[in-house]
Amino acid sequence: MTYFIDGLATLFFGMLVTWRNLWRPKVTVRYPYQKRPVPPRYRGLFYLKWNEEKQRLNCVGCTLCAQACPTDVISMVKLGKGTNASVSEFTMDLGRCMFCNLCVEACPFDAIYMGPVYELASERRDACLFRITDLAQGGEEAVRKNIETIQRLMAEEEKAKPAATHPAGGHAE
Amino acid sequence: MPVSPEKQSTLSTVEILSQGMVINVGPQHPSTHGVLRLILTLDGEQILHCEPVIGYLHRGLEKMMERRPYRHNIPFTDRLDYLAALSNNLGICQCIERLGGVEVPERAKYIRVLLMELQRIASHLVFLGTFGTDLGATTMFLYAFRERELVLDLLEECTGARLTYNWIRVGGVPDDLPDGFAEKVLAFVKVFRQRLKEYDQLLTRNRIFRSRTQNIGVLPKDLALAYGTSGPVLRASGVAYDIRKVDPYEVYDRVEFDVPVFDRGDVWARYLVRMEEMHQSLRIIEQVLRDMPDGPVQTKLPKIFKPPAGIAYSRVESPRGELSFMMVSDGSPNPVRVHIRAPSFVNLSVLPCLLEGAKVADLVAILGSIDVVLGEIDR
Repeated sequence: MTYFIDGLATLFFGMLVTWRNLWRPKVTVRYPYQKRPVPPRYRGLFYLKWNEEKQRLNCVGCTLCAQACPTDVISMVKLGKGTNASVSEFTMDLGRCMFCNLCVEACPFDAIYMGPVYELASERRDACLFRITDLAQGGEEAVRKNIETIQRLMAEEEKAKPAATHPAGGHAE
Repeated sequence: MPVSPEKQSTLSTVEILSQGMVINVGPQHPSTHGVLRLILTLDGEQILHCEPVIGYLHRGLEKMMERRPYRHNIPFTDRLDYLAALSNNLGICQCIERLGGVEVPERAKYIRVLLMELQRIASHLVFLGTFGTDLGATTMFLYAFRERELVLDLLEECTGARLTYNWIRVGGVPDDLPDGFAEKVLAFVKVFRQRLKEYDQLLTRNRIFRSRTQNIGVLPKDLALAYGTSGPVLRASGVAYDIRKVDPYEVYDRVEFDVPVFDRGDVWARYLVRMEEMHQSLRIIEQVLRDMPDGPVQTKLPKIFKPPAGIAYSRVESPRGELSFMMVSDGSPNPVRVHIRAPSFVNLSVLPCLLEGAKVADLVAILGSIDVVLGEIDR
């Protein structure tokens, strides 16, 4: 008998909760069509910051991010020398990436950041490989401008110091 | 009981039946919460013997850590207990801090405790949801995960990730809390208090749920201590043992909270301990937000961190129990030896004792109540 009364109470209180939740606003979104806002700190796809003022990428090719990475995601080819250096190649193998933020924290030049893009799944293996043209803010245009700027700066430096060696060009593949 | 092949062929039907039937649960089973395989010997509905088989998720984490500099290892610990990644981060960071004698700023300690308790709520909500589903209360899963989403949103806003946070660093936390975070957390606390009452109405006072959990899988106090269990499993058996009280770290000695203890030792008690812990976590969160001082959140460390030679041990109360890290340093940038005491591993070892004599139908209830995470067991 107590079981019976208890069971009825269970039903009553359970339905009470259901009734209350019936009138609450729904919490789900229709995902591929609707997307929820992403917080500013979200750790999604990387981007290399473009410096509009200097017309170049902030990256100087110091490889500190590559050293900070626990899983060897980052590889780069340095372009230029000294204070005028940048990168001609910057490749990230995101198939290995843990999105742990350590490279972003290691960067002293504010060059690499993590953005709000999160839909990175692919059917192809090579889609995990992100080259500099995918990562730089402004895409291919920015990479081209970056190389031009660095070459111009190197040439200026060359003129000021005639003893310097030949400037490194863009590494054509 | 193993029988030699020669004798096997001459056994009568009765003798074969009396040997018990061997069935396999897992490794891919919806109620094992990971890749756990259980070899059960049954006599009808009764479990005579249970043999857990683990190791399907083994990644050699301890060895991997020995090959990397200290601070590179923090993101790996996210993959141990993936439902409470921040607790693991804190465990290893505390260990490295002790090894190198690093001081943590006051504000960072409070932020750590705040994140830790949010993490505990998120982890217990996963337990609640999956435990409910295991026992047939599917509604609970939806409600618990709805509230878990609120916690994950908060943690995502603070850390930038939803599951593998990696937000504790040696010497503090990488960044301060975002603007308006405290108000959002307090708003969540208010909502969640009310939702906890609803859980009680829906599940705690549910007649069927109580019948399926009370006096099932009883773990006596002496057995719990003998096996070295910790966390909610131990506290449900009547031992008031919580690292936050016994060996306070960060600012747990400055906040007021109770350690829930139940004497019954059954599945029901383990469930109640976790429900009560969520209440206590809310209390801690409120106090931490009230007392949090201003100031820096991270101590500056040299680029190549080389702690002096020595050995360090640290333990934290993760949602699953006592999580400890041991590290040995010889003065080089890499640790010589890392050992992790995973609470789930020790808690799982008690499972064969609990299952002996239990019914097959109670298997998922007992296993669910131990709340194991296989990422931590296999590591």
